[in-house]
Amino acid sequence: MPEPLLRVESLAAGYGEVQVLWGIDLEVMPAGITAIVGSNGAGKSTLLKVLSGMIPSRAGQIVFAGRDVTGAGTDALLAAGIAHVPEGRRLFRGLTVRDNLLLGAFLRSASRQQLARDLDRIYSLFPILADRRHQDATTMSGGEQQMCAIGRGLMAQPQLLMIDELSLGLAPRAVELLADSLRAISREGLAILLVEQDVLTAFELSESAYVIETGRVVTTGESRVLADDPRIRDAYLGTV
Amino acid sequence: MDVALLVQVVLNGLMLGALYACIAVGFSLVWGVLNIINMLHGSLIVLAGYLTCSLWTEAHIHPFASLIPVGLVIGVGAAVLQFVLINRVVQQPVLTTLTLTFGLDMILYNLMNSVFDATPRRVTLDLGRVTLGEVVLPWDRIAAMLVALALTALLYGILRGSRLGRAIVAVRMDREAASLMGIRVPRIYALTFGLGAFMAGVCGALLSIVYPITTNATGQLLGKAFIVCVVGGLGTVPGALVGGLALGVTESLGSHWFGPQAAALLGFALMLALLVVRPTGLLGRKGYE
Repeated sequence: MPEPLLRVESLAAGYGEVQVLWGIDLEVMPAGITAIVGSNGAGKSTLLKVLSGMIPSRAGQIVFAGRDVTGAGTDALLAAGIAHVPEGRRLFRGLTVRDNLLLGAFLRSASRQQLARDLDRIYSLFPILADRRHQDATTMSGGEQQMCAIGRGLMAQPQLLMIDELSLGLAPRAVELLADSLRAISREGLAILLVEQDVLTAFELSESAYVIETGRVVTTGESRVLADDPRIRDAYLGTV
Repeated sequence: MDVALLVQVVLNGLMLGALYACIAVGFSLVWGVLNIINMLHGSLIVLAGYLTCSLWTEAHIHPFASLIPVGLVIGVGAAVLQFVLINRVVQQPVLTTLTLTFGLDMILYNLMNSVFDATPRRVTLDLGRVTLGEVVLPWDRIAAMLVALALTALLYGILRGSRLGRAIVAVRMDREAASLMGIRVPRIYALTFGLGAFMAGVCGALLSIVYPITTNATGQLLGKAFIVCVVGGLGTVPGALVGGLALGVTESLGSHWFGPQAAALLGFALMLALLVVRPTGLLGRKGYE
């Protein structure tokens, strides 16, 4: 069994007096797609925010690529190789697609040529972004914006790409396109941690999954096994 | 109406307006990115003017040579001030940072009055003039205008085309998402405040070539920056440029037609009119904060 890329042990976190995460244990392997599913308010987004340093953890440990990164800031975690595509995409208004993508590479000390090559790679992954490169990124459709947000995450050259709510508010066709791209990226050896409210999409896309309820992991396992679990089907897939 | 005179008055307004643009562009940047109405801005301009005058009279250092170093001293000092002090309250409502910078302004203003004094001073270069028919343009004003425009363009270039500029715009648009890019927001705040102060410093040096400068003018200069931001549209360099030129020409025409005492009044009247007709300013975009 290979070493996990990310190992989270009994992680606790919250906002003010409200504790959201209660002892999360989680592992992400160096390649492939891992999904985190659960209902609204279960703590999925909070978990990603702790992993990218946006909010501090209160207890527990985070080990990434063999290093203890518990308590590290957003810049240190990004430099270590964890990129976070936030919920709602959060592209920068007033900046072009190209500028948004370049901001993803802010921390890297890459040459102009290297950055140009990386941009070309994103454009070949999402050709529509090449056509729109000089357009204000926030004027694009939801699906195109999600492509740009993922591209921005990839520009950091992370080892782990975390995506919060891939499909939220997007047309089914756009979700299919994004899913195909994510499969292609993960086949190239990038680990992806996907938070997704649409459980069906999450299970189709991922190899393994965690089910989170009220800040605790209730089930984990291979996605296709979980998808056949009658309890999960009843709770999340709405099938009788 | 005499056409040559009108051309003269408008050109005077444009030369003044370029300086106004340069004054406002730093103020606008700080307001737009940090949401701080920097009450120190006028005093920083005067401080730079005083330093430039002292370097000229004491050490015979030419203003065009001391311009950038003076700007850098002011800019670095302001960046440190932002980093160690203002950053502590930068997330607070705008009244808090306004009060803090107001207090700092009082300190700097009184310090300047006791270290120097309030006597108006000026660097007299006597570079001669250009005569085009009946229109006369002094070289020192032309030079000040060109440098002001060049620095405004340089700031625009930095914001639009550099890594630092992208980071500043990103912080302005979405602080949290910017930190996800690995951008250290407090550091960008300090750099932005420093950049704004650098522009103030350079303007102070330029002003000292063209007008007598005194600590009594700090409030007026701050007022000009404020008017230009509202007229041109907040937080954009082209907005500050258009607003600055509009204010310069308005004041110049106003003092020609109604006397110099009316110039300041007309500036504020222009601002009020814009607030009624177009609250986003001439080049401001709605929702662009």
